[in-house]
Amino acid sequence: MRRAVTLFSTLVLATTLLAAPGAFAPAQAQNPQQQDGMNPMGTKPTADSVNEEFLFKQADKITGRVSIPDRKSANLIQPQGREYRAFRESWLPWIGGLGILGMIAALGAFFMWRGRILTDDTQESGRKILRFNAFERFAHWMTATCFIILSLSGLNYIFGKRLIMPLIGPDAFGALAQWAKYSHVYLAWPFMLGVVIMVGLWLKDNIPNRIDWAWIKAGGGFLGKGHPHAERFNAGQKGVFWMVAGFGAAMGVTGLMMLFPFTLVDINGMQVMQVIHSLIGIAFIVGILAHIYIGTLGMKGAYDAMGSGEVDLAWARAHHDLWVEKEQAKTASGPQLTGRHPAPAE
Amino acid sequence: MKAFAAAVIAAIALGVVAMFALTSNQTFAYQAFATSGTRVSEPGTNLVGPRWNGLPLLGDATAEDRAKVQGEASHPKRS
Repeated sequence: MRRAVTLFSTLVLATTLLAAPGAFAPAQAQNPQQQDGMNPMGTKPTADSVNEEFLFKQADKITGRVSIPDRKSANLIQPQGREYRAFRESWLPWIGGLGILGMIAALGAFFMWRGRILTDDTQESGRKILRFNAFERFAHWMTATCFIILSLSGLNYIFGKRLIMPLIGPDAFGALAQWAKYSHVYLAWPFMLGVVIMVGLWLKDNIPNRIDWAWIKAGGGFLGKGHPHAERFNAGQKGVFWMVAGFGAAMGVTGLMMLFPFTLVDINGMQVMQVIHSLIGIAFIVGILAHIYIGTLGMKGAYDAMGSGEVDLAWARAHHDLWVEKEQAKTASGPQLTGRHPAPAE
Repeated sequence: MKAFAAAVIAAIALGVVAMFALTSNQTFAYQAFATSGTRVSEPGTNLVGPRWNGLPLLGDATAEDRAKVQGEASHPKRS
C-alpha cells in the first residue's frame, strides 16, 4: 500500500512539472514584450519613447513639475552634481592634503638647509624704529585670527569626517562641526573687513617696481648672505599682499554666493563656487603657511614688526634700507622712532 | 599685545553682529516654501492639526463619538 502511495505521488509531481509550462503559456502570450525588448512582430515598441539620453539632449538636467513654491525641488536628475561630488569626495582631499603637507615639508627642508635668517649686529643694534602702527597691527591681527579659524573650520569640511570623526565619535564630531560651521560663516565678515582695511592701508606701498625685480634676481636674501635693497615692503611681501588681496576677494565673493544660496547663481553655479572656494582656500592656506614661517621661525626679528610694532634699526636697515632712509629723512627728530633711543637722522 | 587683544575682541564682536544680521534675514523652510495647500515639515501644524489620531470624524458624530476619537491614536495600515 505504501509503495502504491509513493508511486502515485511521484506520478502527480511529474505530471505537474510537465504541465506547468503549458499552463503559463497563455499568460506569456498576452505579454508581447520579449527579453530584448522585441515583441512577437519583431518590432521594438519602446525604441522611440522618451528616455534619459533623449532628455539630456534637450537640457543639462531632467526636471518634473511641482506645485509648492520651491521650484528647485522639481529637479530629478542633475549630472553635474555627480561630477561635483566626485571632486568633493575624491580629488579635493588629495589636493588639500598634498598641498598643505607639501608646503610644511618644504618649509621644514628649507629650515634644515638655511636655518634661521639672522641679522648682523651693527652700531644701530638696540635702537628701535616703528614699523607698523597700532591700527595696522589691529587690522593685521583681526584678519589673521579670523583666517586661522576660517582655515581650520574650512579644513574640517574636507578632512573632519575622515580624520576627526573616527577619533571622537559621530556625536562629538557633529557638535564640533556645527560650531565650526557657525564660526566659518560669522567670522568671514570681520575677515573680509580686515582684508579691505589692509588693502586700503598698504596698497600704495605694494605697487611693483624695478627694485622688486632686482630683489627677486638677488634671491631676496634667502639664498646668499647679503640683503638686496627694499622699500617698506620687498617683493616677497608684496607677493603676500597681492595674494591676500586677490585670494581674499575671491574667497569673499564665492563665499557670499554660498552664504546667500540661489540669490545670484543656481545649484550648478553654487557647486562651481564651492570648487573655486575650496581650491583657492587651500592655495591661500599654503601661501600663508610660508608667510607665518618667515614672520616667526624663519627670520630673527621679523615678528617684532607685528608684535610690538617696533623693529631693531639694524634689522630694518638690513632688510628695508630704502624705507629706513625715507623715514629718517622725514624729520630730524624722527617721528617714526621711539623716544627712548631715537635713531639719528641722516 | 593691546592691538592683538583689540583685534580678537573686534573679530568676535563683528562675528556676533553678523550672526544676528544673518539670522534675522532667514526663514525656516516650512515658512518659506509653504502654501495654503501644502505644509513642508513642522510636525504638529500640518493640515489635520496636532490632535489628529487617524480616525475619521463624521459630521453627525455625537459628543461620545468625538470623545472616543480623541482617545488613543490608531495605526492605519498602509497599502
